[in-house]
Amino acid sequence: MKRSVLIYQSIALITLAVAFILFWSFSKGTPFVESGLTFDETAADSYSVLQENLYRMVPILLGSIFFSIAIAFYLEEWLAETSWIYGIIAQQITILASIPSLLYGLLGLYFFVLQSEKGSFFTHALTFVLLVMPITIQSTQKAIRGVDISVREAAFALGANRWRVVVDHVFPNAFPTIVAGICTAISRVLAITALIIIVYIWKEHTLQSGDTFNIPSSVIVLLSFALLSSVISSFLEKKTNLT
Amino acid sequence: MQNKIEISNLKVRYGDIQALNGISFDVHENEILGIIGPAQSGKTTLLKVINRTLEFTQDTTLEGSVKLDGVEINSIGDVHGLRRRIGMVLPLPVGLPLSIYDNVAFAPRTAGLRNKAKLDEIVERCLQQAALWDEVKDRLDSLGTKLSGGQQQRLTIARALSHQPEILCLDEFSIAVDPITTMRIEDVLKTLKNEMTILLVTNLVQQAKRLANRTAFMLNGDLIEIDETDVIFSDNPSSQSTYDYVNGNFG
Ligand SMILES: Nc1ncnc2c1ncn2[C@@H]1O[C@H](COP(=O)(O)OP(=O)(O)OP(=O)(O)O)[C@@H](O)[C@H]1O
Ligand SMILES: [Mg+2]
Repeated sequence: MKRSVLIYQSIALITLAVAFILFWSFSKGTPFVESGLTFDETAADSYSVLQENLYRMVPILLGSIFFSIAIAFYLEEWLAETSWIYGIIAQQITILASIPSLLYGLLGLYFFVLQSEKGSFFTHALTFVLLVMPITIQSTQKAIRGVDISVREAAFALGANRWRVVVDHVFPNAFPTIVAGICTAISRVLAITALIIIVYIWKEHTLQSGDTFNIPSSVIVLLSFALLSSVISSFLEKKTNLT
Repeated sequence: MQNKIEISNLKVRYGDIQALNGISFDVHENEILGIIGPAQSGKTTLLKVINRTLEFTQDTTLEGSVKLDGVEINSIGDVHGLRRRIGMVLPLPVGLPLSIYDNVAFAPRTAGLRNKAKLDEIVERCLQQAALWDEVKDRLDSLGTKLSGGQQQRLTIARALSHQPEILCLDEFSIAVDPITTMRIEDVLKTLKNEMTILLVTNLVQQAKRLANRTAFMLNGDLIEIDETDVIFSDNPSSQSTYDYVNGNFG
């Protein structure tokens, strides 16, 4: 019962979050549309470029989360821990995952704001991929290893092959922890996006017009989502540790 | 008498620990072979060799030969098929986090069976054989891991029977089961032996005496003696340590 309850809870939370985002964008227009900010024509143009660049990261993010989970399962289930490839990959992932997200934030600032002419779709995507993939892979690996070895052995003893064992037992058992990891990654992304927008507006609007700096509403939305998803993450993590 | 399993000069090491020092014996078709011996004597290791789950423990080395129906098991390509021919019951129940029904239906489904009526029939038969049916027939959809320890152990027995194995390995199955249920399962084992070969590892020597046709005594990775159960439990088995162990004045 514990496991299915956890799965339902995480699905419910995700649905809630998505519903909230949709509701927000319908009622307020897209979250990036700013009220109360007066841009001159060129500034408004370049702001919409920034928005577009950020929106284009959404499929990249979804793709890299999906890909990270696949990589983690491949590493843990199909590649022997003793093989040298595993060692090398695991080492690279650990290094990348331990880089503080602030550094990725700076990288993002550089490509999205300060050097926006140099920033291409590729460099933008790379920033986000580097930000998301290592930590998602690592947390998924941790989730997979957390599944009790005896469950695996019992399933194998019944003649199940690796694929069935993973699909029927390892994945459902690891699912809540995997979602917790994804939420952590998403909250990092949202926080960094907020940072990019703040610096952008400060640079393009506040510096130019000399107005006092107002925190734009989109930043508040992003930061509250960042907070929400880390709350979901820690909630799920606590829950799974209990079982 | 047909040999179901032929083991010769089997040696197993975990890293530096020698767990089996080259043991040889045969298991006859449709017998219950009791395997007794103190802790650490290598009984569980022997069973893990037979269904090739020792492969999940890292850093093990294995020498010698184990033949099932005359075929070397390590040369069998379809290891999952091999495992389906062997039912395994471990000392403590490992409930797969599935419903009671799905626990028992798991192996047949894995083998490709989809027919609901057939599955129902298998689930009922196996739960009956494991002396669990009456207690759970009204709640087959609830989680197996929510049953009591003794019930869960009977569930793993039902699961081990679900793929109609040729060989049933029981590793100290009665640790978590109450004496009355143990008796009921023992009765089932007596009838099951007409359909399959049973390897009964037990720390209760009386259980081997009650059930086994032949009994093997293991000690520190060696097979000290294997003979008709009557001989092992008589006043003059061929080894003194067998006599001492069986009569409880060991060490
Ligand atoms: N996974 C393992 N890693 C290292 N050594 C092991 C492992 N499993 C068993 N051993 C060692 O192998 C030897 C035989 O163990 P085994 O579990 O086969 O004995 P057993 O007869 O089943 O004992 P018991 O009655 O306590 O279950 C012991 O010395 C044990 O320490
Ligand atoms: Mg044992």
